[in-house]
Amino acid sequence: MKRWVWLLILLLGVSMAQSVGNEPPPDYPPEVFEIAKKLRCPVCRGESAAESNAGVTEEMRRQIAEMLKEGKSEEEIIQYFVDRYTDWILYEPPKKGLGLVVWLAPLIGLGIFGLGLYGYTRTTAKREAAYEEVGEEEIARLEKELEQGDRSGGEE
Amino acid sequence: MTPSAVGNFSLALAVLFSVVGLLAAVLAWWNKDARYLVIAKRSALVALLGTLGAFVALEWALLTDDFSVIYVARNSTRVNPTWVKFATLWAALEGSILLWALLQTLYTWLAGSKMRDYWTSPVALGTLFVIQLFFLVNVLFVINPFITIPNPPSDGPGPNPLLQNHWMMAVHPILMYLGFVGLSVPFAFAIAAMWTRRYQTWVVETKWWLLIAWGFLTAAIYAGGWWSYEVLGWGGYWGWDPVENASFIPWLLATAFLHTAMVQERRGLFRTWNFSLVTLSFAATVFGTFLTRSGVIESVHAFAGGPVGPIFLGFLLVILAVGFSLLGRVSSEVRDVGAVHPLSREGLLLFGALVLITMAFVVILGTLFPLLVEAFNGAKVSVGAPFFNQLFVPLGYLMLILMGLGPVLPWRKAEPETLRVVVWMTIALVLGTALGLVVGWTLWVSLTVGLVLFNLVALVWLTFSPVLRRARVTGASFFRVLADQFSHSRRRYGGYTVHLGVILAALAISFSQSYRLDVQKTLDIGQSWNVVGREITLHKLRLLREKYRDSVVADVEVSGLGEVHPRLNYYRSSRTPFASPSVTYTWLKDYYLVLQAYDQEKGSWATLRLVVTPLVLWLWISAGIVILGTMMIVWPSGAPARAPAAEGVTA
Amino acid sequence: MNAKSLIGLVVVVALGVLFWWGIQTKDQRSELPSALAGREAPVFEMELLDAFKGKWGEKINLADYLGKKPIVLNFWASWCYPACYEEAPIIEAAWRRWGDRVMFIGVDTQDERKNGNEFVARFGLTFPNVYDPRGKIGVDYGMYGVPETFIISREGRVIERHAGSIDMETLEKMIREVLE
Repeated sequence: MKRWVWLLILLLGVSMAQSVGNEPPPDYPPEVFEIAKKLRCPVCRGESAAESNAGVTEEMRRQIAEMLKEGKSEEEIIQYFVDRYTDWILYEPPKKGLGLVVWLAPLIGLGIFGLGLYGYTRTTAKREAAYEEVGEEEIARLEKELEQGDRSGGEE
Repeated sequence: MTPSAVGNFSLALAVLFSVVGLLAAVLAWWNKDARYLVIAKRSALVALLGTLGAFVALEWALLTDDFSVIYVARNSTRVNPTWVKFATLWAALEGSILLWALLQTLYTWLAGSKMRDYWTSPVALGTLFVIQLFFLVNVLFVINPFITIPNPPSDGPGPNPLLQNHWMMAVHPILMYLGFVGLSVPFAFAIAAMWTRRYQTWVVETKWWLLIAWGFLTAAIYAGGWWSYEVLGWGGYWGWDPVENASFIPWLLATAFLHTAMVQERRGLFRTWNFSLVTLSFAATVFGTFLTRSGVIESVHAFAGGPVGPIFLGFLLVILAVGFSLLGRVSSEVRDVGAVHPLSREGLLLFGALVLITMAFVVILGTLFPLLVEAFNGAKVSVGAPFFNQLFVPLGYLMLILMGLGPVLPWRKAEPETLRVVVWMTIALVLGTALGLVVGWTLWVSLTVGLVLFNLVALVWLTFSPVLRRARVTGASFFRVLADQFSHSRRRYGGYTVHLGVILAALAISFSQSYRLDVQKTLDIGQSWNVVGREITLHKLRLLREKYRDSVVADVEVSGLGEVHPRLNYYRSSRTPFASPSVTYTWLKDYYLVLQAYDQEKGSWATLRLVVTPLVLWLWISAGIVILGTMMIVWPSGAPARAPAAEGVTA
Repeated sequence: MNAKSLIGLVVVVALGVLFWWGIQTKDQRSELPSALAGREAPVFEMELLDAFKGKWGEKINLADYLGKKPIVLNFWASWCYPACYEEAPIIEAAWRRWGDRVMFIGVDTQDERKNGNEFVARFGLTFPNVYDPRGKIGVDYGMYGVPETFIISREGRVIERHAGSIDMETLEKMIREVLE
């Protein structure tokens, strides 16, 4: 079996994504993945550093693990990557300046559409009320008109 | 008789008859002559057959390894298994648009053959012809897969290896396109209604087609999530990738419409809003296909670029412009009348639609935000899963509350009797939440449990209390009455079943997001690892050779669950291997193992990544329940259909 | 046309403009501005590839050159085809022309040692290249793909990052700017 594996590598000449010589990557506790999930993989098209198999993200996870062992906090670790990659590496937009707009999106949405809905129901309710507020004389006049219409031989 | 010749000829035929059909529809409307409508409907069939011919021709080229056809040369390879070659038709841009066009012609023909109303049918059918012409013309003239190359290569690179790992590749795109394309039919009906000023009757027929499209879309989204989970090696089922979002937005809008349609049917309200919901749902699907194929936004799903971007953008803008201008006319002519009490069924239905529309708004804004910011001040930001996950928690809770209360409240205004049920529901909510907190679950999870119980009490009351009452009054047996109710009000119970599926999904999502465990460890051969109460032992590393790929397989034993075989697949066309995880489902937790790395020299160690996620199995079970519920609603009833037909001269 | 239609039309036009701009600029937009621009270059000490050990010793330390000369820092890998293969002769030629005034250091990132040595031999590279299998230096520099070339000023500050294969004209322009 072992010879097969070796043969495979020779034949394919493939280099693994995490080819750090042939050393095994370190063991990672769950916290590493939790932090990595908040960071973007710099070389992928839309994966986080926790999911991706790219070499860069393997290194990022390694560095996260090392920093955790040194006792750094999550904010410090994230700031470490932001210092090198700008805010782009964060998978959440920063909660300041323009970024606030997208964080407030639910409130903005509920606000705009809620106002629209409210305005709409007010209008329809007002129209219904208008229909019900028909005065007595109006009813009498309409009834007289209908009688006249019937007498003159229903045109339809 | 080469595949290319057949393909091009068939496409030309399809284009020709789509034009004929469109002209016939226009003439039918212009002259108010139903005979032209017959021609149009028949042309739809020929157009379908033409597109089918092109589809078959491309499959012929793929399955016979005909590398003189450019699409085959770019996307297929000899050594692939047959099912992969079959699915390669939609693995890349040109073929995927051909598949889209095929399904569009299918829907046009089916919808056309069912149309009965002579005022609206020509316009609706005409709209469908225009849409299918757009796709067919693109395939024939802009991104033709049938172009022949003078010196065909002996072999090709094959499709993206990610698309070869799992059979779901053959299923998920088709379901998704059936959903997307299906939304064009309600759109066509909406255009027809707006054009011909038939503002009220369109809802009944449209709701039916929308439900079918919605069913496919829901199935497709679930299928995509399952595929992602089983195949992609990161242990998640939804990543808020821009293209996933692009399928979620029409789903949200369509769900909103399904509910507001009820308000329009009952009370004649919301007519303008319903037109815009249907238009936006269809526009959202075109938006999605534009996003994937234009390179505007980076995504894992994206197809390679091409000239298609600006063309699809144009199509999207035309749809929005036509929809909005017609809508403008409608809104000035339609006068909805009626008061809506907030604590009534229609009130809550509208609230619910509001929340769903807001969700769609959040997803759209989040997906486009990086583009917006960059256009504004050149800064680069990313918006991903952590953002969406956080914002959808409160919105999701809101939906769960509305979903529970809505069916319970009567139309027009809440009665004091219903108050009793709501009290019971609230007690269930509080008890459930308290129970969760006592057991030690997080606040969010406990709240979800409470809301699930809130909904369950409502569903139980809604299902059984009328049955009990009737059984008592008529003296018939409980089960007899239950069966009766089921067959008479199948659609209502179908709706309850769908809601049941949704709350089960909410429970599964809540637990799986909050309690997921992600760890990585390197083991020597024979070494064991004690984690989450199980013992994981690496027994062997071996090499597996297949025609189209080589794999390194790890034989791993998980105590109590048997042997699993996570593997790394090496495809010829790619330098990096693709991890194929092993997923073991149990009722409560999933054990997900990925072979991350292994000893390349001696095969003496392997690095395994373990992801333990609770309740994911219930997410897939909820899919089954939702689909079951949808089928219950859609299934034609034995009783004479109450189609809004002018049953006069039949075509 | 009433007010609502007008708003709708404005939204549609605005979306159209936004997406049109998005399509037209998609290639430029994939360039990430360097977070390090204007800041002190991160230092590293790394083992050299075999071909350079004779002349430069076992390892090379960036700090030895920071603040003394401008530096061209080039990230590459043997699997980065064709971009790194296109630019390698250009960088070597630039080194031969400007090497007395500007220091060139290459970083073979996330690669196999054997393949890195082969790459060096193939292009006859004479400027020192270090072997960074983990890609640690890359992360320090906010690298998001290979190849990337950084230009560091005489004072030791990162001036610019060029992502992708570099051509002679751009490289010489960067060098001339930093020599003033």
